[in-house]
Amino acid sequence: MTFRIGVTFHSFTAEYVSFVYSFEDLMELASCLGGGVEIVGPAHHRGFPEVTDEFERVFKSAMERYGLTPTCYGSYQDPFMLPERDLTPDEMYEYTVPQLKGAAKLGFPVVRLQYYAYPIAERLVPLAEKLGLRLGYELHSPLMIESPTVQKLIEQIDTLGSDRLGLIPDCGIFARSVSDHHLAMGRQMGIPELILAEVERLWKAKTPVEKALERIQELGGNQAACSWTEMVWGSFGYSEPSALADVKDYIVHVHGKFYSIVDGEEPDLRYEEVVKTLIDIGYAGWLSSEYEGPPTDSFEIVRQHQEMIRQYIAKFTR
Amino acid sequence: MANPVKKRRREQVEPRARQFVADYPIRPARCEGKEGILIRLLLPSYRSLPLSCIYGIDITIDREAVERNCTRLILNGYTHRLDELAALSTVFWFILDYADFFVERSLAPGLHTVAGRMLVVEPYMTVGRFPFIYEAERTLLMEQEQRGSA
Repeated sequence: MTFRIGVTFHSFTAEYVSFVYSFEDLMELASCLGGGVEIVGPAHHRGFPEVTDEFERVFKSAMERYGLTPTCYGSYQDPFMLPERDLTPDEMYEYTVPQLKGAAKLGFPVVRLQYYAYPIAERLVPLAEKLGLRLGYELHSPLMIESPTVQKLIEQIDTLGSDRLGLIPDCGIFARSVSDHHLAMGRQMGIPELILAEVERLWKAKTPVEKALERIQELGGNQAACSWTEMVWGSFGYSEPSALADVKDYIVHVHGKFYSIVDGEEPDLRYEEVVKTLIDIGYAGWLSSEYEGPPTDSFEIVRQHQEMIRQYIAKFTR
Repeated sequence: MANPVKKRRREQVEPRARQFVADYPIRPARCEGKEGILIRLLLPSYRSLPLSCIYGIDITIDREAVERNCTRLILNGYTHRLDELAALSTVFWFILDYADFFVERSLAPGLHTVAGRMLVVEPYMTVGRFPFIYEAERTLLMEQEQRGSA
């Protein structure tokens, strides 16, 4: 058995926030996109960080009607929500607890944690055990598998010795190039072509982001240019897909981030190798298609993404 | 597989442009005993945020700046001064909910240009409290006098 493919409702953001699709529409779409449902807590239900009884009823009724499976609840630790200071670990814990309870109430087996949860994970694990949840730190750029931060997260998981805590790799860390979408955003922010080209070159040369920022400032890049540069490094990582094998016992869910599909392929992310490794290591959980490109027909592009993955699965399970 | 929602609605389901100034008429209103107008706003993010993540809302009407102390943000029936937002970390603005922006001033019926900037922090970016600047501009209709209250 290979892994299963579903969708995170984050993929439909452009239509959802412009009132084209309602939440119930998204549920119906998910039934044609693999049947696995991942939601982003503060985007998809009212009352965040709590889950109301009213939403529970709406959610479960639609799940049943469309034959869906809840896969992952996106929680937030939001350490910078106060203007003057960061949340203390106690405050972050208090903010996260209702999210875990809400996820369990809705029937989700997995909760995505931001890595900011590191100082409270020890306290969250017993709660996850009680609620029957598995928690996963999202490995989103710049958190590459090989990075010291991720190694620190893995050490913590080992020390806690609980299979309730794991990792959620985001496919954005397996990049080969910067997407056209990100370059277009840079242009829209008024960044000169010279700087765009230099950022692309520096990224390809695997320059550390601090050095890249120095270089951009030398070239006269303004604050917008620096922010955009950080966004590029915050979206595209250098992890080797084969490194998934090193963390195979920790993977509780996978985010199938993508920015475009061109001729049936994601040109900037190394999906073929990712799928091959997931099959090699016997990953049997869910992968959520997570579209984060420019506004488009998101249903259609998610469908194409899933078609690409299925073709790779067929290729490597022959 | 075909998009079932598209099939059912037989209409376009492409994303529409969203800006924080909503496409909704301006209405006359009374707020805290003062006469003024209401402009309908949306949160420019992909998710709900606590009001403490809103670092500023600056509006111009027909290119004329509105002073912040003449304004109120009305969300779910509660009225807030802009300088109170920083403390409101437990009041969430749901991503699909409209808020009303009260401006203490009069406005003639007819079309007006409402433009502005909203500064919003996504409270988890690795770079910290980096405010995203969202700009908006719309031509909105000021409704005929029809007293409502905020």
